[in-house]
Amino acid sequence: MPEAVPTREIFRNFSFVMQMLFYVVSFSAIAVFLYGSYLRVKKYRRGHSAYRFDNLGKRIIKAKIIVLKNASVWKRDALAGFAHTLVFWGFAVLFVGTVIVALDHDLLRFFDVHLLQGEFYLWFSLVLDVFGVLFLIGLVLMMLRRSGTGQPQLDYTRVDLKEDQYDRSGYKRDDRIFLWLLLLIGLSGFFIEGFRIAVDRPEFEAWASPVGWFLANLFDSLGMSDSGNTFHAGTWWLHGIFVLIFVAYIPFSKAMHMLLDFANLVFTDELAAQRLPKISEEDMKKGMGYGSIEDFTWKELLDFDSCTKCGRCHIACPARAAGTVLSPRDLILDLRTYADSTIGVSEWFRQKFDGGSRWPDPGKNGVKVAGQVIKKETLWACTTCMSCVESCPVGIEHLTSIVQLRRRLVDEGSLDDNLQDALMNIGDYGNSFGQPERARGKWIQGLDFKPKDVRKEAADYLWFMGDYAAYDPRVQALSRSVARVLNKIGIDFGVLYEGEKNAGNDVRRVGEEGLFEMLVEDNLAVLHKAKFKEIFTTDPHTFNTIKNEYPEFGGNFTIYHYTQLLANLIDDGKLTFSKKLDYKVTYHDPCYLGRYNKETSAPRKILKALGVTLLEMPRCGENTFCCGAGGGRIWMDDSGMEERPSEMRIKEALGLGTFDYFVVACPKDNAMYTDAIKTAGQEGKFEIRDMIQLVEEAL
Amino acid sequence: MNIIVPIKQVPDLVEELELDDSGKALNREWLKYKINEFDDHALEEALQLKDALGGTVTAMALGTDDIDKSLFTCAAKGADKLIKVTGDFDAAVASHVAAKAMANVIQGLEYDLILTGVQAADDRDGQIGVLLAHYLGVPHVSVVTGVNIDAGKALVNKEYSGGLMGEFEVDLPAVFGVQAARETPRYAPVSRVRQAMRNTELEEIAAGDCAVAVGSSVSRMFKPETGAGAEMLSGSGEEVAARIMNIIREKGIKV
Repeated sequence: MPEAVPTREIFRNFSFVMQMLFYVVSFSAIAVFLYGSYLRVKKYRRGHSAYRFDNLGKRIIKAKIIVLKNASVWKRDALAGFAHTLVFWGFAVLFVGTVIVALDHDLLRFFDVHLLQGEFYLWFSLVLDVFGVLFLIGLVLMMLRRSGTGQPQLDYTRVDLKEDQYDRSGYKRDDRIFLWLLLLIGLSGFFIEGFRIAVDRPEFEAWASPVGWFLANLFDSLGMSDSGNTFHAGTWWLHGIFVLIFVAYIPFSKAMHMLLDFANLVFTDELAAQRLPKISEEDMKKGMGYGSIEDFTWKELLDFDSCTKCGRCHIACPARAAGTVLSPRDLILDLRTYADSTIGVSEWFRQKFDGGSRWPDPGKNGVKVAGQVIKKETLWACTTCMSCVESCPVGIEHLTSIVQLRRRLVDEGSLDDNLQDALMNIGDYGNSFGQPERARGKWIQGLDFKPKDVRKEAADYLWFMGDYAAYDPRVQALSRSVARVLNKIGIDFGVLYEGEKNAGNDVRRVGEEGLFEMLVEDNLAVLHKAKFKEIFTTDPHTFNTIKNEYPEFGGNFTIYHYTQLLANLIDDGKLTFSKKLDYKVTYHDPCYLGRYNKETSAPRKILKALGVTLLEMPRCGENTFCCGAGGGRIWMDDSGMEERPSEMRIKEALGLGTFDYFVVACPKDNAMYTDAIKTAGQEGKFEIRDMIQLVEEAL
Repeated sequence: MNIIVPIKQVPDLVEELELDDSGKALNREWLKYKINEFDDHALEEALQLKDALGGTVTAMALGTDDIDKSLFTCAAKGADKLIKVTGDFDAAVASHVAAKAMANVIQGLEYDLILTGVQAADDRDGQIGVLLAHYLGVPHVSVVTGVNIDAGKALVNKEYSGGLMGEFEVDLPAVFGVQAARETPRYAPVSRVRQAMRNTELEEIAAGDCAVAVGSSVSRMFKPETGAGAEMLSGSGEEVAARIMNIIREKGIKV
């Protein structure tokens, strides 16, 4: 017998009828897949419009890089990243392999082209064997991770309902089916190979299919090789059926994340949380925000379906950690389930609510998404710290959905009494303290010079102060420090005095869009007349809205956070220190600076120049932990919390051992942490210091 | 159920109050005004009744300076109709004159119920509700905390001093002076207020003859005068407690 060209037969020992049967089953499975996918697309097409097609090429490339590197899965979870990378690349290579087989067998052969033979076949076979093994290792790791490692992010326990009020068995079943189907597909694939090799023993397979060869030896030793052809046919069909079940199952299960999450990463908006959506005048008339599921955009509906329940947002959320009823994961999943039950395909994995009736009875106005599907307390618990959005590996924008729902609550006038007072104060007097407008300049009492009024006198920098820096007695002292430091090093700056109003960052995040618009208009009217070159602010919240949101209203300014300004002045040699500070400190990144605007280096540069020893807390930089004050939370009461986020943060800092100062760079942090260190009973362990206090000391 | 809610504005206490040269009134030149808190409760109670029973809510006010925004805020919260009673009124208009002017206008309207705040911070006698009922010839209950409508009659709770509560059954139409609504008055989103300013009609109706006796007049207005009797207690808890007991005995209070 002449030496055969290395290859393998696809339908080995198959009768014509069997082959046809296989095609019929295959096409049925693909039809189910296509139908499921069509229903999905139909669902998203019912969503409101959202423009996410700008720079489409760049968006696709960026999403591809994230996906190919598995970058967002690796972030802060190496085990998940490693296992996911193995499964991902194993699956990808095996999928491409299958496509090559299909092309070769079902298309190219009609042109008398045969790819899968000779040397190409040998390498093809080897690569698939290796990636098949990696695939199986990844799946086993995933299974181990889900069974008994007790990782808190994988715990599906709800924070807002008692154990008998909901049922998460559907989620667990889906997780198991997904992993087991893939595992069985991989294993049965190797078994087919093993039985084929056991019967035929082509010598090239010894290195081209090492796993198959190893299994063939195993079957020999078990005496199974005599009936190898029967076993081969059996496992072939088993493998085929597993694969086709999987194909049909994809659009109805978490397996859909393979397709959806790529799309979601393509369409995600980098500034989704930093720059909240405007409301058109038309929509404003119908009522602010989202009242029913029909109000959500296609991107938001895609967000809900993209969730893989990885739980990263669940463990990052300060509201969840504080023991409130909010879990960003459950919020997204509830919206998904509700969307499915109304405009979706079917409700695949039903959630039981209130002992069977899943959703509240629609009254005369229908079910309210804000208030019924997602409870008010859940929506108000959010600190808008953005840790959910930042930690999400698949580009879900939880915050826009939360704010849209809050907008509806505000529109209906249903909000916390304290919050209502704060908003009315801001509306009436331009500040949340309910102080007269003309008291905004009172903080300068005690300075031996008067900062310029940039409404009348030109200055290089306009200092947009924010309410806390101007009105809170504790922060007023820090404001005087800032003024003294800048004055001493000869920086030409001024303020707007009573011309300034609350910049509106948190008003917008509370959901009071009308008030936000009013504040922006009022502030822009003053800013456009004032004489300055650039803006700086001591408040990261003000920084965020002026930087990211004011441009949409016609306010284009260069704005710095004061830590950026100081760091620049150090670089330029304008800010030098006469002494080194011999302190051990830790630095708390404000959410709106570190996470929202990724500014984590400027404050550290200042600390380095000061000569202090910096100890980093476990959660720092973009992964900082919220003090609990953002998104209007500082105006609401803390009932419903088991432990305040600020107190948890104080304890996190205590884990660093002994140090002198807990350095902050946000007026709200100052207020929050000076309180928290007392209420946590840790007074005297270390002190809260604003960055400017250290700068002034070293000047 | 058609409900009329007469409202008024009071000086906003966020700014320091100053007296005018006469020493009998506030210097109103720089004053900011806001809706009288009790009227806000009356409006909330009216809106709650409307939500439950249907009908309309009409907010009305005398056309003093700056009143428009408060009326539009009522519309933003859910009032269907706004009426501004025009005439020669200043912000310090006496309650008797106000009641007569309101009554003149209300006589030309259809209504089942009038809810107004039980009093106002700058009001001398808290008689608006009483006088309105008098001019209109309908029943009146004051210091009301809950209004329930049943079979064409109103069941209301009235608060008395000392924690006593009375329940009244009242024929409609009637006037109630509202002490507190069943819920905290709702928030008026700025977007709704702005829309109300654009889209809600502010009907102006002339007050007609409202020359009535005002009942009382101010002879002197002054800031609280510092008394001479303040004594700061210091020392240990026991010393302070002993001193407090002594003071009580010195004042002749029997304990």
